[in-house]
Amino acid sequence: MKELEKTKRLSIAAVLTILVILIALLSYKRPEHLYTVNTQDTLEKVVNNNYLITLEDLNQENHVLVDVRNSFDFNKGHLDNAINITSPEILEDDNSRIINKIKEENKTIVLYGNTPNETTLPYLLLSQLGYDNLKILTVKNSYNQNKLITENFVIENNATDIDAFIQESVKNKEAAMKKLKARAIPKVQPTPKKVIPVKKKKKMPIEGGC
Amino acid sequence: MVNRKLVKFLSLRYKILAFIFIVLAGGLVLLPKHEKQEGISPEKLLANTINPERYISTDALAEKMINQDPSLLLIDVRNESDYKKYTLTNAINIPLKNILDEESEPYLNQDAYDVILFSNDHFHADQAWILCTRLGYKNLHVLNGGINSWYNTIINPKMPTEDMAHTEFELYAFRKAASMYFGVAYPEKVKKATVIKPVTKPSITAAPKKVIVKKKKKKLPIEGGC
Repeated sequence: MKELEKTKRLSIAAVLTILVILIALLSYKRPEHLYTVNTQDTLEKVVNNNYLITLEDLNQENHVLVDVRNSFDFNKGHLDNAINITSPEILEDDNSRIINKIKEENKTIVLYGNTPNETTLPYLLLSQLGYDNLKILTVKNSYNQNKLITENFVIENNATDIDAFIQESVKNKEAAMKKLKARAIPKVQPTPKKVIPVKKKKKMPIEGGC
Repeated sequence: MVNRKLVKFLSLRYKILAFIFIVLAGGLVLLPKHEKQEGISPEKLLANTINPERYISTDALAEKMINQDPSLLLIDVRNESDYKKYTLTNAINIPLKNILDEESEPYLNQDAYDVILFSNDHFHADQAWILCTRLGYKNLHVLNGGINSWYNTIINPKMPTEDMAHTEFELYAFRKAASMYFGVAYPEKVKKATVIKPVTKPSITAAPKKVIVKKKKKKLPIEGGC
């Protein structure tokens, strides 16, 4: 009978283990978004700049324009045939479906925003999730009297030589200082005049002492 | 009768249990291949990235630099030639392509400093920020607008026009002072100094005139004393 008790316990334990495994399997939810590209590979992709295209390169047939600005800006004005997927909502189910559909059709997603800076997040996020059909349109969008103006934009433009600017400002200052010195010299002379009245002062109290 | 059946069943008990476990173990083969996920989840990365808190303005940075904030660590992610041409004071250079190298990790993955990444604009700095944030690095910030914005606001600030608010003028005064701290010289400052000098000189020459008046006063009481 002791043996029977033992097997009873054993089988209860086995059943419980199986139950736990079943519950775990059933409750396990596969995460919707998984990285398929690691950071090192993404970095390599980012460093060679062939994901950037300009307005002239835009080929309407193969490209699907995706506007990552907010819906207010999108409704105010957007490029022709663009669809709106704002950056914060890029991982939502509807948007994932749209992006997957574009990928199945072998088309290229072209991201744009007010400046290319705004597209960094959606670009990097999607490329790390394994979408390799991505491009960034390097444009700057602005409004003039409620009309959208799109112009090409140079990324990471080294606009000014700051060092040269500082050097020049120092030179200008030195030049100004020299001019000043040249002008200032004749004005130094009136000081001896000061000394003479002081001497007179001292003499007078002596006279008063008489 | 029941007892005998039970005994027969129980004699197989270990075999049955073993069989169940073998079947379960076989199930493991059917499980999908485990993909190792590097860093934080995409949802979390998205949430972190849409938060504009990582941006630091050029004014805030200038103030920190002038106060010589000891927790500040500036990292220039531009290439070496740009770095040599001009960079912020005490910045170290880690080009974007080397940002994930082993040698750069101690600078980025630490909690002693507030790291500020910058480039010409903030496009490359942002990319570096996103990749490092995915790896879970903390205390990283991005200089909003980068070096170009640094030039336009701190090094060469634009003078506010008359109709602008008072705060604009205060900001301009701060920026101008900051730019002088970072080495910019203003010729008009020299001119202002020269304006002050001629003013002081006439005041000195005017002084002896007063003394003459005083002399007369002193003489009078002396004469009365005789």
